[in-house]
Amino acid sequence: MYRYDDLDRQMLTDRSNEFRLQAERRLSGDITEDQFKPLRLMNGLYLQLHAYMLRIAIPYGTLNTAQLRRLAWVASTYDKGYGHFTTRTNLQLHWIKLRDAPDILDSLAEVGLHAIQTSGNCIRNVTADPYAGATADEIDDPRVWAEVIRQWSTVHPEFSYLPRKFKIAVTAAEKDRAAIRSYDIGLHVRRTREGELSFEVLVGGGQGRTPYLAKTIREHLPAGRLLSYLDAILRVYNRQSRRDNIHKQRIKILVATLGVEEFTRRVEAEWALNDGADIDLPDTELARIRANFRPLAFEPQPAKSQAFEAAKAADAEFARFTRRNVHAHKVPGQTPGDATSEQMQVIADLADAYSQGEVRVNYTQNLVLPHVKLADVPAVYARLKEAGLATANIDLITDIIACPGLDYCTLANARAIPVAQAIARRFADPERAEAIGELPIKISGCINACGHHHLGAIGILGVDKKGEEYYQLSLGGSGGDDASLASILGPAVSANQTPDAIEALVETYLVHRQEGERFLDTVRRTGLQPFKEAVYVDAH
Amino acid sequence: MKVLTANSLETGEALFWNKGQWAVRFADGERFEGDEAAAPVLAQAEGQPTAVVAPYLIDVEEVEGHWVPIAFRERLRALGPSNHRQHGKQADGDADVEALVAATFVARSAGRVKLIKR
Repeated sequence: MYRYDDLDRQMLTDRSNEFRLQAERRLSGDITEDQFKPLRLMNGLYLQLHAYMLRIAIPYGTLNTAQLRRLAWVASTYDKGYGHFTTRTNLQLHWIKLRDAPDILDSLAEVGLHAIQTSGNCIRNVTADPYAGATADEIDDPRVWAEVIRQWSTVHPEFSYLPRKFKIAVTAAEKDRAAIRSYDIGLHVRRTREGELSFEVLVGGGQGRTPYLAKTIREHLPAGRLLSYLDAILRVYNRQSRRDNIHKQRIKILVATLGVEEFTRRVEAEWALNDGADIDLPDTELARIRANFRPLAFEPQPAKSQAFEAAKAADAEFARFTRRNVHAHKVPGQTPGDATSEQMQVIADLADAYSQGEVRVNYTQNLVLPHVKLADVPAVYARLKEAGLATANIDLITDIIACPGLDYCTLANARAIPVAQAIARRFADPERAEAIGELPIKISGCINACGHHHLGAIGILGVDKKGEEYYQLSLGGSGGDDASLASILGPAVSANQTPDAIEALVETYLVHRQEGERFLDTVRRTGLQPFKEAVYVDAH
Repeated sequence: MKVLTANSLETGEALFWNKGQWAVRFADGERFEGDEAAAPVLAQAEGQPTAVVAPYLIDVEEVEGHWVPIAFRERLRALGPSNHRQHGKQADGDADVEALVAATFVARSAGRVKLIKR
């Protein structure tokens, strides 16, 4: 993975020192809250319901074990011993004090972590396929390109005050595990017929109150021209987006307003004008960055492991774990896979012992050990089970995405975590959950959609009705290759009614599903009507 | 009735105005008859930028002998996160907290009568 050089380290130290002075000036009254707020937000520090929240960037979701251990230490020392991995592969700490924040940033900087550009109208943390460098279905390592974009966009003077926040995701695999169509810019690494690396460039995706899926504006951008093309897109957006209405300032609104053809024409015209030679990355620099991601050395492994097969035969729970939570590695015989500080330490220990010291954060809020030998999976499973981290439920109904919601967030209208917990309890029987099959539920506590409810096979949106929590249900969303936005089922239901409503939806699916259909497939085939009838008495 | 609240600048913790001081417990918050009665103390709080951030008034009501915020958000602010009941102000677990918890989750369990079959 990428190693910070002296320049990177000096920049983090300088930034941390700068924030210490800013915080001191605020605490002493030398600057007002209005003056300080944008400065703290540029360093990921929000004021929420119970305390300050610090959002720490995890670039393209990749952590080494020293970084994960430091996050665990910070959570234990300055917070209440836990952190929340987000759908943007960041880590949020929800009990931070302003007076501690500079010390925390110093501590993070020591291991190459920071909170820069985790807030504000700038280019945010770049995300990528969590199986990057480990999966057989990728044609390049997307982390190389995510790192290129991170370096280009960090404190970029022209793009630090965009009309709104701006998010970029990269995948290089056939299967989209990064939800790139829900991003301001989604980049899909492909190869041309001639075998050259190129990008399919998708623009204008986003969730929030006006969800859109990104549209392709270029099928094959030569890989070496990436930065000048991104520059052209950002310039068109920066100059031509509205700035008079916060709800209409994301690039998705500009693309939708102009139409994708006109938007594309303007980007291409801008690209023809900009100085690509000055903006695009020199080959030597790309090679330097790429060298950080060179393939790891793996001992040759048999494609089958006797120990692995024996453990599966002996333990039904472990067998379920391997069916749901283990993904084939590109090297045969290897397999990729709200945490407390102790759990983070366990994961770091396991990564050191079994996964080449690497951990990934997935946008589905799961952690991945990307390089585990098949023969080691039983030992990894045993340790995960001890730590309460071995639930065999990836992509099942209990593998729920939830934002922090009203339990913490000052923007939220309703809680999300307790709803997820109630649904998880309702479907706790692992055999039943596996029989139901793939059914991603995604819960947001407000219309900002941090919980990706627009992309849930079942999406749940918390709303406030006269001070009480209600939940609007949507069906048919997907963030994958078959990306689609969920459709609202009907009137919102109360918190206590929500698990019953989910149960009714699942029962309806089981009645109507045909051979091999996932919940999503059945909804797409039947439409919403049978599901409405199951949930609402007065639908007609 | 109204209560004046803000967040501590230094810690971010929710605070409640009580006769010129900032109290940590909601139950210790001073109550005012309405916006007009609370206006002078709101102005006073706004003049303390190195102590608190963004002071504002919240609506409160009496439920079975205990005062509670009307808005669900403010009830959670006065208690702490419902997924970690050992964290935040609710950790004290006294009678005022219990009353607030009871009132809060009565509100949560309300809903559209007979909307759902089961």
